[in-house]
Amino acid sequence: MFNIFSSISEKSTLEKMSEIENHHKRSWWTKHSENRLAELEITILSVVKSKFKTWFVPIGSSVGQDDKIWTITLNEESKNTPLVMLHGFAAAIGFWCKNFDEIAKDRPVYAIDLLGFGRSSRPTFAKDCESAEQQWVDALEEWRKQVKLEKFILLGHSFGGYLATSYTMQHPDRVKHLILADPWGFAEKPPNYKPPTFFRIMGVILFPFTYFNPLAAIRAVGPLGPALVRKMRGDIARRYSDSFENTDVITEYIYQCNSQYPSGETAFHSFVKGFGWSKNPMVHRFDMIHESTPITLLYGEHSWIDPSSGFILREQREDFSYVNIDVIQDAGHHLYSDQPEIFNKCVKETCRIADNNEDTKEKVRPVNFLKEQFNESRWKDFIDPSYPQKITKEEIDDIGESENDGEERRDITAH
Amino acid sequence: MNLSFAGCGFLGIYHVGVACCFRKYAPHMLLNKISGASAGAIAACCLLLDLPLGETTSDILRVAIEARKRSLGPFNPSFNIHQLLLEGLEKFLPDDAHIRVSGKLHISLTRVCDGRNVIVSQFDSREELIQALLASAFIPIFSGLFPPKFKGTRYMDGGYSDNLPTLDENTITVSPFCGESDICPRDDSSQLFHINIANTSIELSKHNIYRMVRILFPPQPETLANMCKQGFDDALRFLHRNNLINCTKCLAVQSTFVVSDTLDEHLVYDPQCKDCKMHRQEALVSNVPDTVLNVFQEVIESANKGVLNWIFKHRGMKLLSVLSLPYTLPADIMYATFTKLCLLTPVVPQATRRLVFRKVTNFELMNFVGNQFEVHLYQHKPCRALALSHNVTDDDDEADGRVRERERVMASAPHVSNTLWDISKVMLDQVSNVLNRVNRKSQQVSAKITCQLAITEYGGNSTELDHDLVENKMNLNFTLNLDNSDLPLEQSPERKFKTRQILQRKPSFTVNKTDTMDDDTFDHILQVTSHHDAIMAYYYLDENNKVKVTEIFDVTDSESPMLQTPHEKHVNTNLEFDDSWNNYGELGQPYQLDDQTSEYSFEDVIESDKNIFSDPESEWIGSCKIEEPEDELTYFSDSNNDTRPESDRSGLSSGATNALKRKCTIPSFSYEEIDF
Repeated sequence: MFNIFSSISEKSTLEKMSEIENHHKRSWWTKHSENRLAELEITILSVVKSKFKTWFVPIGSSVGQDDKIWTITLNEESKNTPLVMLHGFAAAIGFWCKNFDEIAKDRPVYAIDLLGFGRSSRPTFAKDCESAEQQWVDALEEWRKQVKLEKFILLGHSFGGYLATSYTMQHPDRVKHLILADPWGFAEKPPNYKPPTFFRIMGVILFPFTYFNPLAAIRAVGPLGPALVRKMRGDIARRYSDSFENTDVITEYIYQCNSQYPSGETAFHSFVKGFGWSKNPMVHRFDMIHESTPITLLYGEHSWIDPSSGFILREQREDFSYVNIDVIQDAGHHLYSDQPEIFNKCVKETCRIADNNEDTKEKVRPVNFLKEQFNESRWKDFIDPSYPQKITKEEIDDIGESENDGEERRDITAH
Repeated sequence: MNLSFAGCGFLGIYHVGVACCFRKYAPHMLLNKISGASAGAIAACCLLLDLPLGETTSDILRVAIEARKRSLGPFNPSFNIHQLLLEGLEKFLPDDAHIRVSGKLHISLTRVCDGRNVIVSQFDSREELIQALLASAFIPIFSGLFPPKFKGTRYMDGGYSDNLPTLDENTITVSPFCGESDICPRDDSSQLFHINIANTSIELSKHNIYRMVRILFPPQPETLANMCKQGFDDALRFLHRNNLINCTKCLAVQSTFVVSDTLDEHLVYDPQCKDCKMHRQEALVSNVPDTVLNVFQEVIESANKGVLNWIFKHRGMKLLSVLSLPYTLPADIMYATFTKLCLLTPVVPQATRRLVFRKVTNFELMNFVGNQFEVHLYQHKPCRALALSHNVTDDDDEADGRVRERERVMASAPHVSNTLWDISKVMLDQVSNVLNRVNRKSQQVSAKITCQLAITEYGGNSTELDHDLVENKMNLNFTLNLDNSDLPLEQSPERKFKTRQILQRKPSFTVNKTDTMDDDTFDHILQVTSHHDAIMAYYYLDENNKVKVTEIFDVTDSESPMLQTPHEKHVNTNLEFDDSWNNYGELGQPYQLDDQTSEYSFEDVIESDKNIFSDPESEWIGSCKIEEPEDELTYFSDSNNDTRPESDRSGLSSGATNALKRKCTIPSFSYEEIDF
C-alpha cells in the first residue's frame, strides 16, 4: 500500500506531515493511523482534476501550542475574490472533492480542516461553549492572516456554517459574502415541550449518553470501528459511488478522521444541549451580524435542518441587506454531494453576484427550488395520460368553452 | 415511477396510510414497480393487487392485538408471527396474485448463506409469492428457527441488507422513520446525528427510537391509527409539494393539447387552475378514508371493552402483571417449547396442516372434549379432502388418518389453555353483562348529541372569473339534547336504546345554536348534507355517554346561495378560518419565471409543513379531530359474549356493524348507535 502511495508525487507532503504531526502514530486500540489518513485523503483528492496544493498552515499558539491547520488551495492565481470552505461536524476537506473542480474554475478556493478535526492539530479547547467558539474564530482569523487573505467569501456547511456565522459576526470586514449550506445550530430548542410519558422515560434512560462525545462509540469499539461506520453511514459512501469504485474509502476516511483524540468533537459537544440542540442558537444573535454582510442560505429538500430560522433571518434583514434562500431539490443534509452539479452552480452564481457587488437588498429573490430537471416536478413524467378518460362529456364541453377555442373542442369531440 | 416501502414490522400500518393517499389522490400516477422489504413488501403487494385496505388494516391490527395479549408481548414463545402472517396472506391473496405482481413487485431478501441482498420479482406460483413475502419478513429467532426457502434457497428479512430497495432514481422512498426519505414523518427535533442502516436513513431522535421499539412491540391500536394517519398526511404533503394533486379537468386540458398537437407549454399544466387548487385544498383538509378509519374505530373499541380489559387497565393490575412475570413466564415458556417440540416433527407441511385443522374444527373446544368427536369430524368427507390435498404423496388413507390423529392430540395441547381462557372470558363477559344490566336500570338515560359541521364550500366552475369565485366556509356547532321529556310517550327511552331503533331528527329536539345561524340555514344544511356523502365522519362516545359525531361534507357542487344568505356570508367571512390557500396563486404569480428554474413560494410549503410534525403519542391534530375514548373509560356491550376466536369473529362482527351503520344513517348525520 505504501508503495502505491509513495509513487504519487505528493511524497514530500507526507514527509513534511510526518515530521510535524504525530510521527506515524498508531493507536493500539482503534485502527487509527496518521499515514493511512493521509493516504486515504490523497486517494479521495485524486478525483479532483485541477491542480491543487495541500499544506499545513501554522497558526501559532492561539488554542494549543504550535497548531497547524491542514489547507487545500486551488486556482490561487485567479484575481477574483477567494472562497473559503468550512466543512461540517465529523467531516474533512475530502468531502468537498466533487465540488472543488467546478467552483475553482472562477476563483481561488481554500478549504480547511477545522481545528480539532480531520488532519489539523487537535488541541484541547475551552470547556464552555462561548470560549470554545471564540477559540475557533481566533484560529480561523489567525489562519486568514497566515494565508494573507484580505476579503473572501465564506462558505460553511452544517457545523461549519455555525462557525462561519460566528466568524462573520466578529470580522465583518473580512467576509464579502456568507454562504451557509444547511447550517446547524440556528434554531432554538422548542420551549415548553412536554413530551408524553414514554419519551420522558426514554429521556431519562438516554440522559447518561449525552455525557459521551457524539462519536465515542466509534472509538470505543476499537478495531470494529471502520465496520461500524460502514454500517451506519453507508449512505455517505453511496453519494460518492460515482467517483470511487471502492466506496469503503469514504467510510474509512470518516473513521480515520474521527478515531483520533476527539478535541474538536469534545468542543462541539459543549455546544450541544440535550439531543442535538444548540446551547447558544444563532437565531438569538442575528442582530450581531453586520448590516452590510450579504448572506445566501442553501437548504436540502429532505434535510432535517429546519429552514425556518433562515426565514427569520431574511425577515429581520430584508430592510437593509441581502439574504437569499435556495432549496436544493432531492438533496439531504449533505447537499454538496447529493446534488453536486446544482450545488456548484449555485455557489458559483452566488460568488459571481458577490464579485459584481450585486448582492444588495434590491436583488433579493423569492425562494428558489433548484432542480435537476427544470420542469415542474421530477415526477411529472409519470402521470398517466390515459387517466382523464373518466371525465364526462359535459365536463369536456365545459373545458372547451372555458378555453374559448372552437377548434380545440372539435378535436375533443372527434375523439 | 417506482415506489419503495421500507421494512418496519408493525409500523407497516404507516404504509397503509400512504397507499390510501396514493389511491385517493394520485390515481393518475403511473406506478410501475413497487419494491419493499419485510412489512413494506407486504404493503407493496397489497397495493399492487388492489386489496381492500380496510380488511388489510384489520388484519394487521389483529396481529398487533394478538401480539399485545401475551406476557412479554410478541416475544412470548407461543406467539407465532410467521403463522399469523401466513394465515393472513392465505386469506387475502387472490389465486392469480403471482401473475399480477410478477415483474412489478420487487421483494428485497437477504440470502442466509452469504448475507447478500437479493431482489426477487418473478413468482411462478401463489405459494412462491407467499414464501417470498414470508421470507422477507423473517426475523431469525423472533419468527422461528429455520428461515423459509424460496426457490430452494433460504432467505431471511430483507431489512438486514437493504431495507429500502431503490430500483432507479425515479423511486419515491417511503419510510416511517424520520429521515431523508421522500415520504417520511417530520419530527420537530434538531438532530445532528443521523444514521443510515441498511439504506434507510434514520435520524436519531426520541421519536425514532420510540418507533424502533415499536417495530417489534406493537403499540396500542390508537397509536397505530395515528401512525396510519401520519402516513396519509405525509404522502399528501409529498404530493402537494410536488404539485401532483391534479384535478381531472386539468388533466383533460392537458390531454386535449396533446391530442390536437398544439402543444403550449404554458397551458399544459396550469398551476393556477382553480379546480386544482380546490382539489388540493380538499386534499389538505381530508383524512384517511372511512373504510380504514372504521376498522381502527372497531379495534379501539373492542380493546377497551369488557371487564377484563377494564381490570387490566388499572395501574395496580399492570404492576401486578409485571411483577408476576417471573412466575408466569417460565410456565409459559415451558408450555410453548413443549408444544413447539411436538409440532416440530413434521417440519414441512406443518403450517398448512394447522391451517386446515383450524378450518376443520372451527372451534377449539372440540379438541378439549375428546378424540372421538374429533375423529368423527375428521372423517367428514369434505374436510378430509381438504386435509389430504396437502398431502398427496400419502396414498394410504387409513395410515394417514392414524398418523394425523396422533399428531392432533399433540397439536391440541396449546388449545387446552386457549379453551380455558375462552371459558373464563365467557364467564367474565356474562358477569359484565349482568353488572351492566343492573347498572343500566339505575342509570338515567339522557343522551346528548353534539354535532360539528364544518362546511367548506367553493362556488363556481372554471368559467367564472377570479373575483366571482365564491368561497364560503362555515363552521357550525349545534347540540341536540335528547332528554326524556323530548321523546314521544309511547317510546320509553329504555326501550328505545335497547331495541337499537333508529334515532331520528324530530322537531322536539332542542337545537342549541352556538353559531350565528337561523333554522332556515340549518334546514338548508340538512338538505345539502343529505345529498352528499360525507367525506369523512367520526363517531365516538365520550366519558359522559355523549355520542359525538364529526362529519365533513364536500358541498362543492351545490349552489352557493342556497346555503347561505348574504348576511351569513358576511358573518362567515369573519369566522376564523385558514384562508392562506387563496393567496397561493397570488404569491406565486408576481415572481418572474426564470428560463432555467421555476419558482415557487416556499413559504407556502413551510406554512403547510408546520402542523406536520409528528407525535405518535399525542392526539393527531388536523382540521378534523378524532378523539378516542379515555383509557379509563369502559363501556359494556351485550353483543360481546362471543366465544369464537378473535380471527373468526372479526369478519362477521365487522359485517354486522357495517349493516348497522347503514341502518342508522339519517339525512343529516349518520352515527353509530351505542348502548347506554
